This record gives sequence, C-alpha cells and structure tokens, in this order.
Amino acid sequence: MALKDIKTKIHATERTHKVTRAMEAVSAVKMRKTQSAALAGRSYARAALSILTRLSGTENAKRHPLATHRDGTKIALVLITSDKGLAGGLNSGVLKRAAEALGKRSIEEVTIYAYGKKGEEYFTRRGYRVARAFENKGDDVPLAVMEELAREVSDGFSRGDYDKVITVYSHFKSTFEQVPTMRRLLPLSLGALKDIVDGIIPAKGKWSHETPLEAPASYEVESLSGDVLGTLIPRLIAVALYHMLLEAKASEHSARMVAMKSASDKSKEVVHDLTHLFNKIRQAAITREVSEIIGGREALAT
Amino acid sequence: MAKTFHLTVAKVGENLFDGEAVSATVPGVEGVFQVLAGHEAFVSELAAGDVRVTTPDDTVHSFTISDHGIAEVSYNQATILL
Repeated sequence: MALKDIKTKIHATERTHKVTRAMEAVSAVKMRKTQSAALAGRSYARAALSILTRLSGTENAKRHPLATHRDGTKIALVLITSDKGLAGGLNSGVLKRAAEALGKRSIEEVTIYAYGKKGEEYFTRRGYRVARAFENKGDDVPLAVMEELAREVSDGFSRGDYDKVITVYSHFKSTFEQVPTMRRLLPLSLGALKDIVDGIIPAKGKWSHETPLEAPASYEVESLSGDVLGTLIPRLIAVALYHMLLEAKASEHSARMVAMKSASDKSKEVVHDLTHLFNKIRQAAITREVSEIIGGREALAT
Repeated sequence: MAKTFHLTVAKVGENLFDGEAVSATVPGVEGVFQVLAGHEAFVSELAAGDVRVTTPDDTVHSFTISDHGIAEVSYNQATILL
C-alpha cells in the first residue's frame, strides 16, 4: 500500500471513530433512562398481570371467549423490534426467535403486528401479511398506543381471525445480556400468564419475592358494562405489551451502547495499527533513499 | 390495633404505595367503596376521583385517579392500579 492510501485510511477510520463514540455517548444516556423506566415499570406490570393471573383461575374467566382454547393453527404475532440497526445481534435474535415460533405454518396462517421497522421489513420481504405496523421511534410511548394494539388483537381473536396470539420481544437482563423471548398472550391461560409473571423480577419492592398466585374461586365483580373481563383483559394485555415494549427499549439501547463501544475500541485499534504501518513504510523509504545517496557518492569517489 | 391488609397502589412506571393499610376508600364505577382487612374477593373498575389510604399509624395518603383504574382485592391483599 502506498503511503498516501494509508494516510487516507487512517483519516477515514478516525472519522468513523468519532461517529461511533458519539453514538455510544448518546446510547449511554438513553440506556440509563430506558433501563430505569423498564425496571420501574416491572412492579406495575407484575401487579397487573398477577391480577390477570388470579382472575384467569376463576370459573367465569375460564369460560370467557378470550380464554377459550381453539384447535386452529392460525396465529397472530406481535413483534417488538427496533427501528434502527447498529445494535449488534439484537434484532436478528428476536427475528430468529419469531421465525422459530411460527414453525412450519404457511404464510396465510400468520398475521403480523410489527412494532418497529426491522420486524416489519423482515416479514414484508418474506411475503407475510403485516396487519399493522408501528414505528418504534421515541422512548416515551403512551400506554394508549398499546391499549389500541391490545384491543385490536383481542377483537381479532374474538372474531376468529386467529386462534392464538403470541409476542416476541427482547427481554432485558443486564446491559450485556438481552434475551429474545416468546410469550403467549391469547387464549388466556394460567400457565402462560405465570410464565410472564415469573419472568418479571423487579429490582426491589413487594413483587421482588414470590407472592402466592392461587386464585379465589370467584370474584365479586363491579363494572359498568356487564362483561368486566372483556374490558379488563384487553387492558391488562395492554399493560403486558407496554411492559414488553419498555424491556425492548432498554435492550435496544443497551445493545447499541455495547455495539458502539466495541466499534469505537476496534477503530482505535485499527488507527493504531495503520499508524504503525505508516511509520514503518515511511522509515523504509527514508532508509532506502539514504542508502541510494550513499551508494551514489561511493560510486563517484572511486 | 386495627387489623391491616397489604395494599399496593401503582401507576405505570411508579409504585405509589406499598405496605400495610387499615382502610382504603376507593371510587368504584358504581359508587365509592371502602376496603378493610378481610374483604371478600372483589374486582372493580374505577371512576375518576381520589383514593384515600389510612395506614396503621393513622396517616392518610391520597392519590388521584383520572380514569381507567382497576382495583382487586383477594386474600387480605389489595392492588389498585391507577
């Protein structure tokens, strides 16, 4: 490689380093915010889902249409990914988990609700029907968006558009570990809900230790509409989805921070190596020139 | 000392109250009701209004519900989601 090429490459790598370092700093700030939001939201989610779990154990809940198990294979997938990449293996992990969950179902049997562009692009490219796509942009998403989504999937389930509703998102464990996770939302069942509730371990507070989940056989119910479960279930599902979204956001920013940090470190290393090479080649050129001059002088002297 | 029950009051992203309470006055959609220790299993949607919680040391905490709340009582514990 010529000296000039190396110099250009060093400059280019330095510029990349600046960009990745800036992105790292931005992600670090967002990471702190979204992590604390996710951790703070866990106790609420756990409280809400514990209600749902206890309710689902009661007799009238078992007979409710949203809790009825059907044998069909049609499925709705709520997929929570990020809008942008540059976050290491985060989205590909989630998408892989989603593809796995769909199994051998044909394209017609699947309805996709995509929250985040990456998931939408992935399934649109493969010809799946994306019923609804949301952008995953800001970090302050109102609960109302999730309520809308929850209502849509519960309505679709009641209509019989699909026999099962699952969701795939990335669960936040720590800054360095995010787990792509699949959960079943509908039909409501004690087992599936227990899985979700057990997965939510808040940092501290009442729900950080095991609480009894056994349910009273019946509840006295007070609501304006006759069908209290019909209103409660979608609302509590919205809380579940909201919780998953917070987890996904914390995961996204953590993953991006880590990815950008390793990119910054790597670019620094590359700059160092290139500078080394640059100096070596330059020194070689100087040495060669000096020896040429000396050789020329020797030839003249004799 | 009056009997107590475990009460959790939470809203999205924040735990407002978590501990023992003597009574809680809650605005249900069909009228205000009061929860004491040993209340029967009960679920209710909540209307806009104030939740008032009395703790064993007689302090009163008050939380405002805008809409959309849920209260659940079972096994001597209550959860109120704002």
